[in-house]
Amino acid sequence: MMVCEQFRRAMLAEPSNDDAELRLHLATCHECTQYALQLRRFEGRLERALRVAVDPRLMEQRVVTPLRARGPRGARPWDPPHRRWLAAAASVLLGTAVAFSLWLAAPGRSLAADVVKHMAEEPNAWARTDIPVPEPRLDEVLIDSHVRFRLSAGLVSYASSCSFRGHKVPHLVVQTGSGPVTVMVLTHEALRSAMRFNEQGYRGVIVPVHGHGSLAVLERGPDMDIKAVEGVAARVQSALDWTT
Amino acid sequence: MKDPVGGNQRRARFQALCQSLRPDLLRFAFWLARDRTLAEDVVQETMIRAWKAQDSLLDEGAAKPWFLTIIRREYARTFERKRFVTVDVDELIAKEEPMLAAADDQALTELRAAIFKLPGEYREPLVMQVLMGYSTAEIAAELGLSNAAVLTRLFRARKQLRVMCGEDTSLDPEE
Repeated sequence: MMVCEQFRRAMLAEPSNDDAELRLHLATCHECTQYALQLRRFEGRLERALRVAVDPRLMEQRVVTPLRARGPRGARPWDPPHRRWLAAAASVLLGTAVAFSLWLAAPGRSLAADVVKHMAEEPNAWARTDIPVPEPRLDEVLIDSHVRFRLSAGLVSYASSCSFRGHKVPHLVVQTGSGPVTVMVLTHEALRSAMRFNEQGYRGVIVPVHGHGSLAVLERGPDMDIKAVEGVAARVQSALDWTT
Repeated sequence: MKDPVGGNQRRARFQALCQSLRPDLLRFAFWLARDRTLAEDVVQETMIRAWKAQDSLLDEGAAKPWFLTIIRREYARTFERKRFVTVDVDELIAKEEPMLAAADDQALTELRAAIFKLPGEYREPLVMQVLMGYSTAEIAAELGLSNAAVLTRLFRARKQLRVMCGEDTSLDPEE
C-alpha cells in the first residue's frame, strides 16, 4: 500500500502521473489531495514561466530567412537587385495587410489569448488517457451552460467548471486519434465569425454557436493540423444538445 | 531524374514544420543556454543542419525530438568551440531580464529567475518534461540516464524551485 511520502515524491517528479496506485491513494487521503491541488497550481505557473515570449519577427530574420535563402540543399540562389526591391515592397504591403487584419480581429484575438492563458494554468488536463470522466460528473460540469454532450462524439477525459472572464465555463478534454483536444464552452462570448489562432504553442479555432455564444477548440504541439482541429470543432458542435 | 515539383512541395512542408516547431525549440534552447542570443544562434544552426539532413527525418511526427537532439548537440558544440568562464547566475538573470519579465506578474518573473538558478542537470529534464511534453522514458533515452535517475532529478528540480519561490513546502518529502 502506498504511503503519503511515496505519493508526494512521485507527484513532485511527475505531476501528470496517472498511475492507478496514485489515484487510489489520492481517493483515500485528504492531505495528499490538498497537496496534489497545490502542486497542480504550481505546475500551471511553471508551464507559464517556461513559455517565455519569443519574438516572431526576430525568429523570422534569424532562423527562417537563412533556410529560404539556401534553397535546395544549401544552394544560394542569385537575387537580382530589382527582385529585392519588389520583395521589399511586397513585404511592406504584406505587413500593412497583416496589421490591418490584426486590427480587425483584435477582440477575437484577445479572447484567444485568454483561452491560451487559461490552458497554461491547467497543464495536467492534457494527459493522453483512455479513462473517461464519469457521466454524472460531465453532466454536472455542463449543467449551468444548459448543454449536454453526446458521448458518441469522443472520449471525454477531463471535465472541469472553470472561471473564465468572470463566468464559470465548462472546460473539457476530448481524446482524438491525434491526441487530446481541449474544448471550452463559452456561452458568454458571442463571436461574429470563426477565427483561427496559433499562440504560445497552442493552435485552435473559436467558432460562433448561434444563440449560445461560442466554442473554443484547441490542441498543443505539432501533432494535429489546424484543419483537423476544425474537424474536431465541427464534431463537438454537432454533439452538443442545448437544453434552452 | 529530379522531381522539381515534388522537391518544392517537400521543401515547403519542411519549412512549415520548422515554423510550427521553432517557438518551442527557441524556448528550449533559451532555458538550456540561459542566453537569448546564444539560443537564437543554436536554433539557427540547428535549422540549417536539419535542412541539410532532412532526408533522415522519416516520420514528421518524430520531428520535435529529432530537432531537440540536434539542438542539444549544437549547444554542446558551442562548448567545444569556446571556453566559457564561470558564470554568475545573477548576472545572467540581469542580462536576460527582458525575456524573464512577465507583465503584471512578479511571481512569474521570480519563478523564471529561480529556473535560471537551477543546476543544468535538473533544469534540462524539467524543461523537457514541462515544456516539450516528454515522458520520463523519453527524457531518459535523450539524456542517457535511467528512468529512476530522471525521476530523482525532476523531484529535486521541483523541490528546489518551490523552496526558492517561497512555496509552502511543509508537506514536501525529504530527500
